[in-house]
Amino acid sequence: MATESIKYLAPNTENKVKTQVFPRPGQHTTGLVDWLTTIDHKKIGLMYGMTALFFLIVGGIEALLIRSQLWDHNMDVLTNREYNQMFTMHGTTMVFLVIMPLSAAFFNFIMPLQIGARDVAFPRMNALSLWCFVGGGLILNLSWFFTGGSPAIGWFGYAPLTDTRFAEVIGDMGPDFWIFSLQILGIASLLASFNFITTIINMRAPGMTMMRLPVFTWMTLIVSFLIILAFPAITIALVELMFDRTFGTNFFDFLEGGKPHLWQHLFWIFGHPEVYILILPAMGIVSEVIPVFSRKPLFGYGLVIFSGAIIGFMGFAVWSHHMFTTGMGVVATSAFAMLTMLIAIPTGVKIFNWIGTMWGGRIRFDTPMLFALGFITMFMIGGFTGIMHSSVPIDAQHQDSYFVVAHFHYVLIGGALFGLFCGFYFWLPKMTGRMMNEKLGKFVFTLMFLGFNLTFFPMHYLGMIGQPRRTHTYNEGHGFETWNQIATIGAFILGVGIVIGIYQFVSSFFNKKLKPAGKNPWDARTLEWALSSPVKEYNFARTPIIKARDQAWENNYGPRENHSEKEPLDDHGVHMPDRSWWPLVTALGLFGLAMGMLFHRTIDPSGELVRDYTVPILAGSVAIIGMIMWALEGPGGYHLFPKENEE
Amino acid sequence: MISSLTKLLTIRNLVSGLFLLLAGSCSRIDHKQSALDPKGLVSQNQYDVFMLSVWITIFLFCTVGGCLLYVLWRYRAKNAEEAKEIPPQSHGNSMVETGLIIASSIILVILAVPTLQGVVLLNRVPDANDSETLEKLGLDRSQIDGAITVNVTGKRFFWVFEYPQFGIVTANELVFPATKAVRINLRTEDVIHSFWVPKLAGKMDLMPGQENFMWFIADQKKILGETDVATAMPAVHDGTMRSKVFAKQKFSDEFEPVGGLFYGQCAEFCGNSHAYMSFRALAQTDEDFDLWVKRFQNAQNPNLQTKLYDPKSSYNKNSFVSFADNKLGSGANREYRSVRKISPGQSPQVAPGAWEKAHSDDYEIGKQLFSSLQCVQCHAVNRTGLGAKGPNLTLYGLRTSLAAGWMRNDEESLSKWLKNSNEIKFGNLMWNGEGIDDRHPLRNLQDDDQKVNQLIAYLLGQS
Repeated sequence: MATESIKYLAPNTENKVKTQVFPRPGQHTTGLVDWLTTIDHKKIGLMYGMTALFFLIVGGIEALLIRSQLWDHNMDVLTNREYNQMFTMHGTTMVFLVIMPLSAAFFNFIMPLQIGARDVAFPRMNALSLWCFVGGGLILNLSWFFTGGSPAIGWFGYAPLTDTRFAEVIGDMGPDFWIFSLQILGIASLLASFNFITTIINMRAPGMTMMRLPVFTWMTLIVSFLIILAFPAITIALVELMFDRTFGTNFFDFLEGGKPHLWQHLFWIFGHPEVYILILPAMGIVSEVIPVFSRKPLFGYGLVIFSGAIIGFMGFAVWSHHMFTTGMGVVATSAFAMLTMLIAIPTGVKIFNWIGTMWGGRIRFDTPMLFALGFITMFMIGGFTGIMHSSVPIDAQHQDSYFVVAHFHYVLIGGALFGLFCGFYFWLPKMTGRMMNEKLGKFVFTLMFLGFNLTFFPMHYLGMIGQPRRTHTYNEGHGFETWNQIATIGAFILGVGIVIGIYQFVSSFFNKKLKPAGKNPWDARTLEWALSSPVKEYNFARTPIIKARDQAWENNYGPRENHSEKEPLDDHGVHMPDRSWWPLVTALGLFGLAMGMLFHRTIDPSGELVRDYTVPILAGSVAIIGMIMWALEGPGGYHLFPKENEE
Repeated sequence: MISSLTKLLTIRNLVSGLFLLLAGSCSRIDHKQSALDPKGLVSQNQYDVFMLSVWITIFLFCTVGGCLLYVLWRYRAKNAEEAKEIPPQSHGNSMVETGLIIASSIILVILAVPTLQGVVLLNRVPDANDSETLEKLGLDRSQIDGAITVNVTGKRFFWVFEYPQFGIVTANELVFPATKAVRINLRTEDVIHSFWVPKLAGKMDLMPGQENFMWFIADQKKILGETDVATAMPAVHDGTMRSKVFAKQKFSDEFEPVGGLFYGQCAEFCGNSHAYMSFRALAQTDEDFDLWVKRFQNAQNPNLQTKLYDPKSSYNKNSFVSFADNKLGSGANREYRSVRKISPGQSPQVAPGAWEKAHSDDYEIGKQLFSSLQCVQCHAVNRTGLGAKGPNLTLYGLRTSLAAGWMRNDEESLSKWLKNSNEIKFGNLMWNGEGIDDRHPLRNLQDDDQKVNQLIAYLLGQS
């Protein structure tokens, strides 16, 4: 090892006793314990990413089952209920367990490196966020094994279909699992977002002013704000729904005076910002990649960031365009239509600026660039159909048809997923220290691009000739067959592409034959590329002093005065915190609390409903004890002394 | 060499074959449920705005995409040296950016204006006194004045159509006059549904606890096309529509030769059998519509139901009475029609020559089965039957479709449906509803051809 370390001896030893009572796993923790107790943002980011890729496969299998069922009219690959469960789980999985956590994986791994920080502001909270995410994903997928199976309510779970009154299986628990899973996932997202905001505001290296932040970090900041403002709405909606289902309240039960409309408003005032929560990180990634492969700085940096912020802000003012057909009246409908059209402008600005960035550059077509270009074109199509839907008369035909399915898959696969794959191909060399096979990468891109368009472009047409979404089958004689078959073939091609891609990502961690990446294989621009690949445990041996935007590029090609400097070495070294069990324990407590609430009701032999809160209370106590121990376990930690020139 | 050439050829054949297939499939866009083939004022407006947006976006896609392609080609790094060059590090150009923002705003205005007009059109029936608007829309005052109202109630998983002006109720097939505005009030008794007839209007949700509104007016000229009224809009009230539809078209045909027949479907996910919740709308001339209403009113008027034979009263020719006929079973009644004027006391038993059987034996037995097999628990036929759980089956023999628009309403389909509806519409409530299990007589019809045929005779005899 190039580094040597000593056990940290705090000058003030008052809380040392507590440190001994509850010792934190220290520097030399390895293996499973290391992964379970780690608070290193890079390891947490990797676990976020790998779990999300696993769920991508799960959601993908669900998608392929859906497509197989639609191969021809009146197929019976799935029963109608199974199909409805499939699309509910597919939607929920892809939104909450794939795209969001994949973005979070990059936020975790890359953002602190981009701003010159040791770690995020609250490393243990970061770990709690990860374990909550894993727990939430687990709860959602456990629903398959209990009464009624998975929820069959659609990913936006419109009331009153979620009401127990309209359950189609007696004692259906699917929606309950869905509710609790989303609540726990909400905790994960909120924790992560508060963490990222604090980190970006407080932990930037000296000289890293806000207007020198890399665009991806800016998007992290904007998305984090979106999350903390949007999630409370769905949290409230889910609490109300949980009360309706569990304790018989009437928030959404129209037969008792509840209002199903309320659910739609609460859901979409979360749900529309959620769309930008899904797409802005990908836009951030693409805004990093295009300058690198054009060898030019981002065109209109300020405007791109400002558009991102405007998109985020206006994202809260357009939610009702999901409800144009619910009878909101002329005025509300018109207002939301106009606001929705306005949001096209900042989105267009971004596309113009990406093209402006390439203008006059020296464009290289490596795999990340191909995915970025795929992103631009596919997102453009998704954006254009989005403009169509903002027009109410058009939406009156498109709403809930396959046209809408085509639209949001263009935005979420052609946009978000292509952007995230772009991020993998771009940053994995930084994470693994190895270059991936370019040819295989381009093959993956070709498969995904072809398969994707083959799947979703025909859906525009299918929607126009009248195929409604969320129908488990269609009748013969509507002319839907040919196009559905093309879509199904495309879906399998896309699936193969994604699986090969995932294989390539995972194997690049283990395949020692791959070419080493070196510090800056792409000749990239931002600060993280000034570090060695893979990044050392401590990130920066000495905190950099930032002199310019695009610091790595300036160090290589910029004038002398733009080169970054380093804070002087001191005998104190780099302080590394110890690992901790308590985030995992707290998350386990929350998991137990949710499971306990799910199963707290039983029917006793006399037919009475019996509520038993023992498990929820016990599990809740575990969570609280976890938090208390967390507070008491003390700082611990150790020091590393990197050599003079190491990074 | 040769083998690779043949391989190439077959691939080429395959590709061109696929292309032809797609072109063939694209060449007609008037599929049964196609929004690209508008046949009404509102849907035409929606189509026009859509096509405007399509041209705008194609223009934008070509312009921006063209720029992108140009940039990629012009500024590509041609070799390894060029890939290492450092181009001028320009950071942006505020003039260009402002210009593009203004240009995109202007394009949005082009779409915004027809959007706002469309919002008003689809939410409000034009005022009959506002002759200026009517003229602009190409409507005649009488078309608004004579508007009919239909209360649509969505249920899992079928549609109830109630005509409050006429006091009649039907299900799954909406009959309307082709030249008059149709006001639709939308309600639901359970979850959210969405009423969507692409060729006539867009869609509007049926929200629980709230009454929503939409309207449409068909365009008779477009319905007729190059055909005449008799071909495009055969009368429903005398069964011509049904027989013409059946004669002209196989169920699996992609295109509908009868212009006045429209297809619709529930568009908001409403539960297990959401996909099966379709319906039809049948356009009629004013006269045919009036006649259809008359027939329905008569069939659903409690005062006009066939009464038991009364020995004290006399009957006109063509009167219907109900009278015991032991051939149908003990205590069973049969409907008789008088062939001449009947004086008091001339019961069918006393004067068999004065009466004739109104229906076949199968019909009469089917009618009894309809009660004894508990069909009446959920379905109402005329005024017979208790239920509103299932679709109203009044004048069922006039319907073109069965099972909420899912199948053609003929003997063959009906027999399949009655024997095992679960096989056709998995999870349907006739098979799986509350209180229906293996002991229910419906579930035991599978091997009972006779009963099924009698039920069919009764149901399709309602015409």
